[in-house]
Amino acid sequence: MKEAFRQSMAWLHTWAGLIFGWLLFAIFLTGSLSYFRMEITQWMQPEARLEVVDAGTAIGLAQRYLEQQAPKAESWFITLPDARQPAIGIMWVNHDGFVLKRLDPRNGAELPVRDSRGGDFLYRFHFELQMPYPWGRWLASGAAMLMFVALISGIITHKKIFKDFFTFRPRKGQRSWLDGHNAVGVLVLPFHLMITYSSLVIFMSMVMPAGILAGYGDRPQGFFNEVLPVSDAPEAAGQPGTLAPFGPMLEQARQAWNGAEVGQVEVYHPGDRNASVSLLRRSSDGVIYDPGTGLLLQGSSGQVLSATTLGSWPMRIAGGFYGLHMGHFATPILRWLYFFCGLAGTAMIGSGLVIWLGKRQLKHAGTAVLPFELRLVEVLNIAGMAGLVVAVGGFFWANRLLPVALAGRAGWEVNAFFIAWALMLVHAVWRRGRRAWVEQLGLAALLFAGLPLLDALTTDGNPWRYLLRGDWLMLGFDLAFVGCAGLFAWAAWKVRRAGLPKDSTIARRERVRPARTGALEAEMN
Amino acid sequence: MLLALLLCYAGWAGLCLSMDRHFLHVSGRPASARHRLGLRLGGWLLLGASLWAALPGHALGVGLVQWSALLMFSALAWVLLLPYRPRLAVWVAGLGLLASPAVAMVSL
Amino acid sequence: MKSAVGGISVAYRLAVTSRVLAAVFGGYLLASAASACLALLLPMTRADAVVSGLLLAFVVYLLAALWCFACRSAWRAWLGVLLPSLLLALVYALAKRMAQP
Repeated sequence: MKEAFRQSMAWLHTWAGLIFGWLLFAIFLTGSLSYFRMEITQWMQPEARLEVVDAGTAIGLAQRYLEQQAPKAESWFITLPDARQPAIGIMWVNHDGFVLKRLDPRNGAELPVRDSRGGDFLYRFHFELQMPYPWGRWLASGAAMLMFVALISGIITHKKIFKDFFTFRPRKGQRSWLDGHNAVGVLVLPFHLMITYSSLVIFMSMVMPAGILAGYGDRPQGFFNEVLPVSDAPEAAGQPGTLAPFGPMLEQARQAWNGAEVGQVEVYHPGDRNASVSLLRRSSDGVIYDPGTGLLLQGSSGQVLSATTLGSWPMRIAGGFYGLHMGHFATPILRWLYFFCGLAGTAMIGSGLVIWLGKRQLKHAGTAVLPFELRLVEVLNIAGMAGLVVAVGGFFWANRLLPVALAGRAGWEVNAFFIAWALMLVHAVWRRGRRAWVEQLGLAALLFAGLPLLDALTTDGNPWRYLLRGDWLMLGFDLAFVGCAGLFAWAAWKVRRAGLPKDSTIARRERVRPARTGALEAEMN
Repeated sequence: MLLALLLCYAGWAGLCLSMDRHFLHVSGRPASARHRLGLRLGGWLLLGASLWAALPGHALGVGLVQWSALLMFSALAWVLLLPYRPRLAVWVAGLGLLASPAVAMVSL
Repeated sequence: MKSAVGGISVAYRLAVTSRVLAAVFGGYLLASAASACLALLLPMTRADAVVSGLLLAFVVYLLAALWCFACRSAWRAWLGVLLPSLLLALVYALAKRMAQP
């Protein structure tokens, strides 16, 4: 009885994992990179290496800019700077769309940097998949649900989850791949479960409207007003009005929240008499992502209209999931750990796809030609994994190569990403199996190894100068690029080696070390 | 964080070596029942100690997240190192353990 | 009378497809029904009950999906998601009626 259950779960794990496997690989890889999205943005706009200014200065500059540039907008959004994002982020919304800008904290003017989406492209891609709203999010959420099913069914299937907890046997072909898949899966399981379930929670009001409709029937907006009460701002009066300075308002919030800082300022109907200013707490303060703690002030006078804090347990739990997923509170070391856990998830998915194909390829080992379905999986594996890495490299290369003055260059950087990916797909179809892997991984290694050089040639920075300046961000990127290049080169070498006849690859030393290793390995199995 | 990391890693080492197959792989000799019990107990105690080391100086939520992250990272580091360099893996655990009182005095 | 396509019978493919549909759509239905009932029945403020219902919906969806593949036949899969959905719909209707005096 139990065997049949485990077998059905094994079947489910195999197929649930495959269906969106390549999509999930892309989501996990770009998602992992997103933990450094602000750093990536800074790298991609190297012209401005900025210092952080205090909130009072920043808000003053933002207010002045917005009052000059967008006095009649429907709403303003101001993101106050911090160590990871030293520029002042502003956005204004009109009936025909929104405009995003970043201001130089030194003078309040637009940041004189090259037009680029920076790390935000990778961040948005990982949950919107470059698809029109809201379809990308629905697809990503669907993939997340399948990921959840694959995780749980995988746990159920893994019979010896405790016995094999520490087991990893390299150099044994398919066995090693499975051990590796289990290792990155089981040892990092808390992260995988958290990241998957929290991704469902993040879009839960979109994908599961039934609950909201049940509670709020004909007026679902009521739910959002209750959950995010600070957004229930007064309507426009239709008469002009002036805004009080925002600086003292920040101080009011600081006092109301025991010294906690404001992260986001939202202004509704700024030119109107009934303008209101919503102050939201900075999200890096604690684990719980708390959009509910806010202060709503009257725009013209700074008088408090309403104040809310996150109280109830369900809201805390939802906010906790959100916060854990985003990791805004992470210090640099923890951020790197988040990144490595994400890469472990990526490796878990990738190794699963390799195992899926490898098992079935064995059955066709005699024939030179794979049946169509397996060939399809092979092409998708290569293009979806090695090809994606090449695409990321292409994205960074485009950022350094495209002329700064080129119109629409931000869009062209993104295009470079997808063009590179598409080319890798064509390459994977054209070149058979192993060769395609080696060539794409080799190309990825070349691209990433070339980035520090490209950076030195196209900007006024280079690793030595970064070291002297103490610019750890830029230096860190150069080191990371070289590290990645090494990893891809090693992977390409391993794949190539695995394809060569056995004897030519065994080093002389290994051939002369017989009995003892054999006995120990027999014991371990 | 360093102290918690060293304790986690040593804890995983203890729990792992309390299993026959891994003890055999590392030492070439089977483990006695006393060894196994001692290693298992020691391993759990070290993991508990790592939690105690990870919490101070942070909000509870943040401390717990950091501890989980260190647990996962050190477990993966141990498992990936073990088959290639078993002696080195154990030495790192041992040295980390020896260094931890000093690290504790500096950081806590 | 089975016709085989590449060694796998049509009946098998139909059964698998049926289970998949039961898991994807039936599971969603069941999760939504559970979410709606929780939103009405949990002894908390309205917003909190709705949030709790949303948070738990995915666990229900998961269990439904696992059931659809663990059970012995495709028929049981559908039964296992539709019957509870019906029950929950009844509970929902009752709760709605009782809330309106």
